[in-house]
Amino acid sequence: MAMIRNQRRHRLVAYSLILPFVAIFSLVFAYPIVEVIRLSFTNATLIGGGEWVGLQNYRELLSDKLFYTSLKNNGYFVLLTVVPTTAIALGIALMVQRLSGRLQALALALFFLPYILPVSVVTQIWAWMLDFQFGVLQPVLELIAGKPIPVFKNPHWVMPMVALVTIWWTNGFNVLLLLAGLRNIPQDLYEASALDGANRRQQFARITWPLLWPVVALVLTLQLILQLKLFDQVYLLSEGGPFNSSYVLLLMVYREAFQQNNGGYAAAISLVVFLLIVTVSVLQYQLLRIRGRK
Amino acid sequence: MSGVVLRNVRKSFGAVDIIKDVSLTVQKGEFGVFVGPSGCGKSTLLRMIAGLEDTTSGMIEIGGRDVTAVEPSRRGVAMVFQSYALYPHLSVAENMAFSLRLAKKSRAEREEKVREAARILQLTDHLEKRPAQLSGGQRQRVAIGRAIVREPEVFLFDEPLSNLDAELRVQMRLELSRLHNQIGATMIYVTHDQVEAMTLADDIFVLKGGVVQQSGAPLRLYDDPDNRFVAGFIGSPSMNFLSGTVTGHSAQGIVVASEEGALEAHLTERPALGTTVILGVRPEHLAPAESGIPVTVEMAEELGGNAYVHCRLNSGADIVFERRGLRDRLDGQRVRLSADPSQIYCFAPEGLRLR
Repeated sequence: MAMIRNQRRHRLVAYSLILPFVAIFSLVFAYPIVEVIRLSFTNATLIGGGEWVGLQNYRELLSDKLFYTSLKNNGYFVLLTVVPTTAIALGIALMVQRLSGRLQALALALFFLPYILPVSVVTQIWAWMLDFQFGVLQPVLELIAGKPIPVFKNPHWVMPMVALVTIWWTNGFNVLLLLAGLRNIPQDLYEASALDGANRRQQFARITWPLLWPVVALVLTLQLILQLKLFDQVYLLSEGGPFNSSYVLLLMVYREAFQQNNGGYAAAISLVVFLLIVTVSVLQYQLLRIRGRK
Repeated sequence: MSGVVLRNVRKSFGAVDIIKDVSLTVQKGEFGVFVGPSGCGKSTLLRMIAGLEDTTSGMIEIGGRDVTAVEPSRRGVAMVFQSYALYPHLSVAENMAFSLRLAKKSRAEREEKVREAARILQLTDHLEKRPAQLSGGQRQRVAIGRAIVREPEVFLFDEPLSNLDAELRVQMRLELSRLHNQIGATMIYVTHDQVEAMTLADDIFVLKGGVVQQSGAPLRLYDDPDNRFVAGFIGSPSMNFLSGTVTGHSAQGIVVASEEGALEAHLTERPALGTTVILGVRPEHLAPAESGIPVTVEMAEELGGNAYVHCRLNSGADIVFERRGLRDRLDGQRVRLSADPSQIYCFAPEGLRLR
C-alpha cells in the first residue's frame, strides 16, 4: 500500500521531535563552546566582559613553562595508564571468562565495584592506605624501596601512584567491555580450531586477539581520552605537587580560571586541551583500525 | 578394518545421562548417519567422537586406535559444524589452510592442498574472499574444504545442511554423496531429518533418549523396524498407528478390531485374544477396500504423481494413505481402508515390535 503523506505536516512533526534535543544541546554545549572560543581571544576575568586581545593568550601559553611541564606530565600519565590498564583488563577478562555462571558474575562484580565509588572516596581510601605514618601499604613500599615513602610528596612516586589509583578505580569498566567482546566470539571457532590442532596460545593469537581487536582499539581510545582529562585524582591527592611534578593541563585551567581569575587565559588552555584530545584520539583510533585491518 | 567403534559409551552432565550405554560401529569408508529427534543425544555423541566432549565411561576407537582420552586434533577427525564455524577474519584460502599452517606445513604444500580442495568444491574463484562475502552454500563448502585439506580418517558432520534453504539442501546432499564416493573416507553425519538420513546413509543409527533404538541400512530400518519409534520416525509421511484389540487368530496371524473395523496382520507369535496391540501401516500400503477401517476423507495433498489423502477416523485421529495415478477426488466421502496383512506391523503397547 502506498502511503500518501502530507509533506509539510510530516516535516513539522520531525522538527518538533528534534527540537528538545537541539534546544538543550545549544544551551549547554554549543553556546558554551562558542563562548569559550570567544573568551580565549580576550583578557576577560571569569565573570565580566574583557577586551579583545587577539592571539595574545595563545602566545603567552606557548611561552609558559608550566604549560610544557603539564603537557609532559599528561603524556607521562597516559603512558602509565592507557596500555597497562588495557592489558590488565584483558588479562582479568580472559580469566573471568573462564569462570562459569554465578562465580563469573561475582568476580565481575568484585572487579567492577571500585568503578561505582566516587573519586573523592577512592582518593581518600588510597591516601589512607599510603599514608606516610599509618598506611597499611607502607610496609610493602618499604620492601621495594627500603624505607617508608611519602608517595604523594615525592616527585618520583607521585605520578605512578596516581596512575595506580586510577587503574584500580576504572579498570572494572574496561574488563566489562572486553568481556562483552570476548563473549561475542562464537564458541565453535574455538572448537573448530581445537580440531585444527591449535593449542591455547595459538587460539589466543589467531582467533581471540584478531577478533577482539576492535574492542581493544575502542578501550585504548576511550582510555586515552579519559586519561588526558586527568584532574580529580591529582587535585585530591597531590594538588599538582611536589615541585609541579604532578601538574597537569586541566589543573592549570582550574588554577587560572578559579584561583587567578584569568578567564580568557583559562579558556585558551582548555581549547588547546580540547583540540589535543580530539587530534590524538582520532589519530590513535584510525591508526589502530588500520592496524587491525591488516 | 574398522572405521569408528564405540563400546559402551556413556556421557552424563551431572546427574543427567545424555548418552546411555551406546555401542556401535561405522565401518571404514562407510557413511553413517545418526538420526533422532532434538535432544536425543546425537550431537553429543558426535562431539564425543570429535573429542569436544569428554567421555564419562566406555571406549571410542578410530581406525583401531583407542582415542577415548586423546585430544581432538590427534584423533584424525575433521568436523563440519552446523554454524560452519568459519574464521571470519581470514580469507577462504586461509580458512582452509588454517590447520596446515598450525602444522607448519610448507607454503607450496599448503597452496597445493587448498587448490585441490577448492577444485573439488568449486571454490577456486572465491579463495581470496572473506566468509561474510559468500552465500550460505559456499560457506558450507568452505567448511567442508577445511575438513578435506586435513585428509582425516573420519569426517564428522553436525547437521551441516540445516541452515540452507530447501533447494540448496537437496543439491548439497547430492554433493556430499558424490564427495563421499570421491574420497572414500569414513563419514558420520548427524541430522534430525530422516530424509537426509535415508538418502545419504550406508547405515542409519536411530537415537532416542541417549540409546540407539535400531541401526542398519536405510531400507532395512524402513522395512523392518524394531519398535514403534523407529517405525514412526523413518518414512515420510510417517506410519499410521491404530490401537486395537486382538479378536481372533487367522491362519497366518491375528485379526484386530480397531476403530469400528477390523484388520488382519501376519504374525508368528500370536498374542492371546483380548490383548491390546498397536497396528502400524505405511500410507503407501493403505488403500480403499470393501472391508476395513471406516474413515472420512478430509483433504488430499496432490503431488502430481501421487497424492497423500488425509482422513479422519471415527475416534477423531488422523490417518493418511497414498494414491497413485488416480485423478478423482474423494473429499468428504466415507470409505473403508485396508492393507495387505503382510504389510501391517504389530507393536506391543510399550512400543516393541511383535513379529
